[in-house]
Amino acid sequence: MFREIKKEFKIISLSTYYAIQREMLNKASFLSNVFFMILNNLSMIIQWIVLFNLKSNIAGFEFKDILLMWGMAAGTYGFAHFLFEKAFSLSSLIVDGSLDNYLVQPKNVLLSAISSQIGVSALGDLIFAYIMLILTGVTLPKFLLFTLFIVTGGIINLSIAIISGSFSFWFKNSDIIEETSSHLMISFATYPGGIFKGIVRVILYTFIPVGFVTFLPVELLLNFDLKLMLILIAVSILFITLATFMFYRGLRRYSSSNLMIARI
Amino acid sequence: MKAISVQNLKKTFRVKTKEKGLKGTFKSMLKPTYRSVEAVKGISFDVDEGEVLAFIGPNGAGKSTTIKMMTGILYPDGGSIKVLGIDPTKERKKLAYEIGTVFGQKEQLWTHLTPYDNFKFFGAIYDIDDKEVEKRIEDLKNRFELGEFINTPVRNLSLGQRIRCEIVASLIHRPKILFLDEPTIGLDPVVKDNIRKLIKQMNKEYHTTIFLTSHDISDIEKLCKRVIIINNGELVLDDTMENLKYHYLNKKIIDIKMRDDGKFSGDDNVKVLKQKGNNYKIEVDLDKTTIGEAMKSFDMDSIQDINITNVPLEDIITTIYQRSK
Repeated sequence: MFREIKKEFKIISLSTYYAIQREMLNKASFLSNVFFMILNNLSMIIQWIVLFNLKSNIAGFEFKDILLMWGMAAGTYGFAHFLFEKAFSLSSLIVDGSLDNYLVQPKNVLLSAISSQIGVSALGDLIFAYIMLILTGVTLPKFLLFTLFIVTGGIINLSIAIISGSFSFWFKNSDIIEETSSHLMISFATYPGGIFKGIVRVILYTFIPVGFVTFLPVELLLNFDLKLMLILIAVSILFITLATFMFYRGLRRYSSSNLMIARI
Repeated sequence: MKAISVQNLKKTFRVKTKEKGLKGTFKSMLKPTYRSVEAVKGISFDVDEGEVLAFIGPNGAGKSTTIKMMTGILYPDGGSIKVLGIDPTKERKKLAYEIGTVFGQKEQLWTHLTPYDNFKFFGAIYDIDDKEVEKRIEDLKNRFELGEFINTPVRNLSLGQRIRCEIVASLIHRPKILFLDEPTIGLDPVVKDNIRKLIKQMNKEYHTTIFLTSHDISDIEKLCKRVIIINNGELVLDDTMENLKYHYLNKKIIDIKMRDDGKFSGDDNVKVLKQKGNNYKIEVDLDKTTIGEAMKSFDMDSIQDINITNVPLEDIITTIYQRSK
């Protein structure tokens, strides 16, 4: 089994390496995409500066905590989009019949498909995330925890994309579900978890699991709790298992197509 | 051993139907209706190891669907498939190590990479170690004359060179069966001929079983010894090329050029296809008469030139398609 995982990992690394090479063909575009994403995220912080000038505490969060929250939101988004950009357009891969190429290869179809393209601007998000971490004061344990939570949160982001994209196996026009779920995950991730109460809070820990992507990790970075961290890791494993199950369940309904397709 | 064994294979697609106009769009959103399209209706056939088989049929006949089921892309709704003894629905990955696929309409290569890098990537996909991949690339490069462009990015190659690389990429893991779906689509005659040579060479040197679909009858005529014709999801014909020609080539086309004083008396079993002055193009049905009998209706002493040809294979296949509608 470990040999299999090693082989899969080799393919993902190669695929990512070649995808980076493709994006680097136009270096100016590559660098400006990364730079402007960092700038875009920084501009979002301005509204919080204004708010904190009026109030020193928002839903129990200080300004430093907001920076950490933004870092976590951008990092999880960046991780998922940088390595697995195609997961966020899985719907079109399914409808266009683009899974054919991966289905005839002796590798994991889902992994091969979603790692075939990188999100260049997402690299900007990842860099932004670590800038935020530095601004809030970095220690080695905090750095390691932050990185771990970027991975767990990124996996949950990825899982939601795979689940919503997999609806296309059943309903052909489900790209709207894919887009909406992606937007919802981003929108809720950039607010302090404490402002959401009651049913909304329940939804944010279930259907739109932003709670496990930013709220809980930020909470853990501020007040560490081993039990909660283990729950967080278990939840991310649960989500990716569910997403994988749904994808392979749907794959039996895959109908391919005869569209002319080039791998560009 | 059978390379492929297909029994009573079935596949049905559910297609959404929609009435015309905006009203129809809303109606189909509120109350969607579907119809079933039987793409493959219980076909059965076997393919021997090392065989070069043409699997042909008009557009929408069910060729690609069948190939996709045999390669593990689509799940069948009924029947069974064994490719090299492997069930594609249960052991897709295991099967993938043993087969190669080239879909003329779909590109597998990364266009920004050179063929060399692409081959290395495919080598990694099939778990071949680096040294072995290098050796195989060198061998394939020499065998299929890729030397000139092996280090040129795929996007800068001509269509013919690209297809050649697509085929070679599918050979890197030395598959026992190669599925070629329209490999010569959009290529000029010279390149087509090169691709055909390459396919022949593969079959001869590696004993690769070739399962070919093509709308180009020359591909079939020049490469295949056996042909399966499918139409409307049903098997219409499964025979050797030789039998196909003998059984269906029961008509001959004769071009006759006569002097001005020559006479043609006519014959019920001779069909005049074209006449210009004293030049005739006739069709003789050998089931009804012989060439000798047919020629008696012409003034033999006035014949200046004569040319007897078979009905083109393309016409035969078109007739079979039409009959099976």
